Amino acid sequence: MAGDFNRVASCKATEWAKILRLDMRGLRIALFGLLLFLTIFILAAFSDIFAPYDPWNRFEPFLAPCREHILGTNDLGNDILSELIYGSRVSLIVGFGAALMATLIGTLIGLFAGYFRGLMDETLMGITDVFLMIPQIPLIIILAAFLRPSFWLVALIMGALWWTSTARVVRSKAMQIRETSFIECSRSLGFSHMHIIFSDILPNILHVIMPKFLLTIASAMISEASISFLGLGDPTMKSWGMMINFAFTRGGFINGYWWWYLPPGLCITLSVLSLVLMGFSLEEREEETMRIE
Amino acid sequence: MTFSGKKAIRYFLAIILIFSLNFAIPRAMPGDPLANLLGEDVMLTEESIAELRAKMGLDLPLHEQFLAYWRDIFSFDLGYSYHLHSPVSAIILSRMKWTLLLAIPSLILGAILGTFLGALAGWKSRDAGQKFETGLVLMIYCTPPYFLSLLFLYALSFKLGLFPLKGFYSTGSALDIAHHLMLPVIVMTLFSLSRNYMIMRGSVIQERGNLYAAYARAKGLYGEEILFRHIFKNAILPIITLLALDFGFILSGALFIEIVFSMNGMGNLIYDALLSRDYPVLQGSFLVITVMVVSANLLADLLYSRIDPRVRWQ
Amino acid sequence: MSMRHDINAPILQVVGLSVRFETPLGLVHAADDVAFDIYEMETLALVGETGCGKSVVASAIMQLLPGNAVVEGKALFSKMDLLKLEEKEISRVRGNEISIIFQNPSLSLNPIIEVGEQIAEPLQVHRKMARRESHQVAKGFLSRLGLGERSLMRMYPFQFSGGMNQRVMIATSMILSPKIIIADEPTKGLDRALARDVTSEIEKIMDLTGASLLLITHDISLAAMISDRIAVMYCGEIVEMGKCKDVLREPLHPYTCALLDCLPERGFKPIAGASPSMIDPPQGCKFHPRCPYKTQECMQKQRIRKIDGDERQVRCWQY
Repeated sequence: MAGDFNRVASCKATEWAKILRLDMRGLRIALFGLLLFLTIFILAAFSDIFAPYDPWNRFEPFLAPCREHILGTNDLGNDILSELIYGSRVSLIVGFGAALMATLIGTLIGLFAGYFRGLMDETLMGITDVFLMIPQIPLIIILAAFLRPSFWLVALIMGALWWTSTARVVRSKAMQIRETSFIECSRSLGFSHMHIIFSDILPNILHVIMPKFLLTIASAMISEASISFLGLGDPTMKSWGMMINFAFTRGGFINGYWWWYLPPGLCITLSVLSLVLMGFSLEEREEETMRIE
Repeated sequence: MTFSGKKAIRYFLAIILIFSLNFAIPRAMPGDPLANLLGEDVMLTEESIAELRAKMGLDLPLHEQFLAYWRDIFSFDLGYSYHLHSPVSAIILSRMKWTLLLAIPSLILGAILGTFLGALAGWKSRDAGQKFETGLVLMIYCTPPYFLSLLFLYALSFKLGLFPLKGFYSTGSALDIAHHLMLPVIVMTLFSLSRNYMIMRGSVIQERGNLYAAYARAKGLYGEEILFRHIFKNAILPIITLLALDFGFILSGALFIEIVFSMNGMGNLIYDALLSRDYPVLQGSFLVITVMVVSANLLADLLYSRIDPRVRWQ
Repeated sequence: MSMRHDINAPILQVVGLSVRFETPLGLVHAADDVAFDIYEMETLALVGETGCGKSVVASAIMQLLPGNAVVEGKALFSKMDLLKLEEKEISRVRGNEISIIFQNPSLSLNPIIEVGEQIAEPLQVHRKMARRESHQVAKGFLSRLGLGERSLMRMYPFQFSGGMNQRVMIATSMILSPKIIIADEPTKGLDRALARDVTSEIEKIMDLTGASLLLITHDISLAAMISDRIAVMYCGEIVEMGKCKDVLREPLHPYTCALLDCLPERGFKPIAGASPSMIDPPQGCKFHPRCPYKTQECMQKQRIRKIDGDERQVRCWQY
């Protein structure tokens, strides 16, 4: 439109701001998310310091919140606050494990499909489309039912299923970058395909992969919470979903012991929120930058 | 209406793959495939086990089992539940209607409300009121549906006594069923709304920067006129596919909501089957859900090609 | 072209128009103290290189600039100051009394709405006309532009060529017989033959509707062909303005001279130096760093010299 000049001017401006790392558009929300996330991360990493008791220790059961047990105790007499703090570990491990695997697979498939195109693209994207249609949670339920529950397994299954949207985004970005002249240049210099893919294209799409990675962690965390709620969680670990499940099935909910199921629920929401805030604001920022350029 | 052959092949492959996965799982898992197929804790005598093994063809080579499996599928035979003493397909059929009673109104309401509110939110994304609304929706988006159900159930049924605590009906009259359904439908609607809302919001933000939106303004369109006459239709195109892909996730949400509200649908069927390790029911449910998800995607593709002239004219 | 004005009052008076954009790097001065009049039935060409701010002027008049723009000055049109109108009020002017033709027709049209509907839309929006009736009118306009076939109304922009889409935009812009049509680089990206076609279409409409035209272009030969008056812009300022014939035959400002020397028929001579930054423009005359005739005065102050009443003006110390 009329702003052809405007576009040019702000393009230069963003480049400069990028160099000077001054570009803060939309970052305030991401920063808030990061802060929230770091809090949870620190709680998980130093659970033994923050938790008042060992979560497996037994006290008097069904205690209401009091000075010794800020969030009371559950049916077995475990301190709920300690369970809550230790529960962050499962969420984070499953979330990170699944997302790391999914992002790795998605990035590789996307890169290859986008770079080689043609038959390779057709095949890989066909596989992606098929995977997209698998109802993931029901499949995880079935597999977890057959195999004895363990959180590693849950993370593994999720990682194997959730690479699809990353693959799509990476592919379209890789296709764009493949057409740029600096790739042309690398090709004419005779660099190998692998060299171009991993040293020229990959570094230029990391900024798209990052928000996807964060959002995948969020999905994995919410799903882990759901699986645990069904009682398919790892019995050797305390997790938030499992706490809600116990509160629900062992009378905590019916009796109105809100301190038993409300805190783990809020913890799930907040930790997912922290990641979603970071992911969404990075994604939106990316879109805006693209528009200007 | 064009429907490209490539797409058709992908749907076909998806169905084949997922069904084969379903065939492979009980046979590949550790333990006796018979136990994996029947479910655990089924008490049987030695000779009836041998008889069943032969009847289910487990002594045959794998490829013959595979063929038999497909033959069964095509005759809607999903196996027999030894826990519920009934064919799986009949059980699922009777439970499915309750799930659909919950899911369909919520999905429709959630899709309509979610896209409209999301479109408005994307259009006025800098408005303070909108930001607050988006924040609220984002909270719902980040909450597992079962926890959302617990919250609503606690606040509205326990504390305020506005809604019944559980089940689909107590007297069975339509009004009674509606009363029981109200709260789960609200929760389910909020859940699907939150997902559609976020997707639509992003799509509108992306579309509103396009030149055609600026031109619509230059033609004299004012405010929301631009959104609804020009941007909405463009923004909803990618949404249709995304919504279909999200369908499986939203449907899974319905299962969890059912469990919390103790409703007699697929969710509790799966939950009970999990507790008693009733594998035939689990597998049958998985297949039915898969078919529903794939059909939703097929439907979305058809709809897409109807709405987008660029696909229609190819 | 119909002969112009003299006695008539101008229908659009732009006074002291300045546009700045707030960017992370600082203020960008995209237009500075721009002033011109447009009279009834005349064509004024705003000529300048890409990035000189001419499109910004057009968008500013229509209040179509992005949110980070700061606009000062006046644009008087039928007793209103367009720059001060509320969005609701300006939306009644847009497309109705002043319409604009964007420079990228294929991206400006909505990709999934039939072109017939898009042409007819202003009738529905401004005149509340029923859909069917408005389509009848739209069809009439489209056939006047040589796209008469009935089926074309139901086609989509992606099925049209760039030239056809340009015509769709032209039809849309004239359907309510506006008083002023702004054409923003109507020939950009079109080949010579197509550009000539589009130019003659535009001329035809001007005669047909009696609208005035504000032509924004980098193409001096196009401006020479169809405009009555010409305003040359450099770095956000109008450096010279006058009757088309006069300016082309006897350019006064050194930049106009240099610009004309760039034309193939005058020997393709490039202008020495580079366009200045619009964030930190030169003091005094903005052209002085590239001007062969610069003096001490040029580096400090500017002067607008008016010749023959308001007929001709030039921003230079030489006159």
